[in-house]
Amino acid sequence: MAVEVSVDPELCIGSGDCTRIAPAVFHLDEDQGVSVARPAGVAATDVQVLLQAARGCPTQAIRVVRDGTVIHGSN
Amino acid sequence: MTALLTEFTTTIELDRYEDIRAALFDPNLSRTFDRRSYAEGNIRDGIVSITHGTVHRARRRIENTQFRPDVLRLYERDLFPRVLNDLLDVLIDQPAADLFAVAEVLSVVLAALRAGIDVDAHDLDQLRELVRYVDAFSQGSAILDSKDPDAVRQLVADAYEAFERDWVRPSWDRRAALIEAHQDGSLAADALPHDILSVLLQHRNDPKLELADTGRVVREVATYLQGGTHTSAQTMANAFDLLFEAEATSPGLIERCAADLDYSQRVVHETLRLRPTTPKMRRRAEADTVIAGHAVPKDSLVILDAASGNRDPGLFGADPERFDPDRSIDPSVPRWGLSFGAGAHQCPGRSVAGGFPVPAHGQADDDQHIFGLVALEVREVCRRGIQPDPTRRPERDTRTERFTRWASYPVRFERWSTFR
Repeated sequence: MAVEVSVDPELCIGSGDCTRIAPAVFHLDEDQGVSVARPAGVAATDVQVLLQAARGCPTQAIRVVRDGTVIHGSN
Repeated sequence: MTALLTEFTTTIELDRYEDIRAALFDPNLSRTFDRRSYAEGNIRDGIVSITHGTVHRARRRIENTQFRPDVLRLYERDLFPRVLNDLLDVLIDQPAADLFAVAEVLSVVLAALRAGIDVDAHDLDQLRELVRYVDAFSQGSAILDSKDPDAVRQLVADAYEAFERDWVRPSWDRRAALIEAHQDGSLAADALPHDILSVLLQHRNDPKLELADTGRVVREVATYLQGGTHTSAQTMANAFDLLFEAEATSPGLIERCAADLDYSQRVVHETLRLRPTTPKMRRRAEADTVIAGHAVPKDSLVILDAASGNRDPGLFGADPERFDPDRSIDPSVPRWGLSFGAGAHQCPGRSVAGGFPVPAHGQADDDQHIFGLVALEVREVCRRGIQPDPTRRPERDTRTERFTRWASYPVRFERWSTFR
């Protein structure tokens, strides 16, 4: 099962909720003020945690793709 | 009396939790309704809460830097405890006190720090002066629920002029000098103040932020001062209003708060759920949209009844009206419900006031957890033996339609002044 996570920097407002829910995956780029997803962290994190972070994102900036299918976020 | 001055195509009211949540996440809904109420001298003209889209996201990106976990821990574990007990010793110097007035002073101290307003944390006259401004600005922010909007506009205009002159300008000048020193290489970055005013001044030339207007910067600072003070103080009053009522049938709750910070935080969250600062949120549809199966035409007024949504029995249990800080709630649902909003406009100070979500089971990891400043305040006043004042009744704020606002909350203390 291949899972990919991305954060749209145009939508992200740097609330940091995702970094609290999935700290191994998301970290804040303080220069840009937005969250960035770490691929290594994605692989080590339960997909339900990823979906919790995605669902909680205030601007719905997080996209989760599993085996090529978008399971959260826009296509 | 002046009513809402914006024409809407229709009014839609949502009262189910998931419908409200979907609305709050819908990017087609804005807070730019009733322009005259929020322009023409209102304290909210052009502030982040009223902006939408690109400008809103740009402002939140820089302002959210002031709400990082390491900053929150500094406030909660270092800065606030140092002033909390010193202020309580001074404010509670006799058996009788007004809890709401005490809470306002406690909250304004750190709100000023975060906003970038320089104040002596031990000068009660200064703190009470700031609280008077907060009260005026709070009325301005809730003008849609005001019984006399014209009077509120005048009140805000009068307060704003003095606030800018006496408080913002001196703080602004100090920070501008520090920023200039940093830019010319004579001051390290970590020596700059970390507050809203400082980040606004550092990024003011970014056109995406739309901060060229000096007044807009001042109003943004005022927003954070007001937002960080008023709702925390109201939540304190509401928490004890609910605790006193519950204590009548379940004695020992005050003692439990005094001993258990985790429980104090649950009390705060349950209070927020039952007594949201904004019981009915309002949004404007900037375009046709569909929310939870409801067709919402462009220029609709959408009313989001958070007070009802927070009582959804499917999410909060079979007895959602009852004050029960121990109630079992699925961890995917905030214990405070929709009281901090949701979506792009969710309250940036929610973790400051309410802390991080409590764990579903067991106690929070104290090393990482943020309990929230209101929980700390609740615990400390409980340690002083707070109890109802049988000789004086609490007074609701009758200037507003919101049922969650107090004007005063008299209480008594078993231990005061040099209690420690």
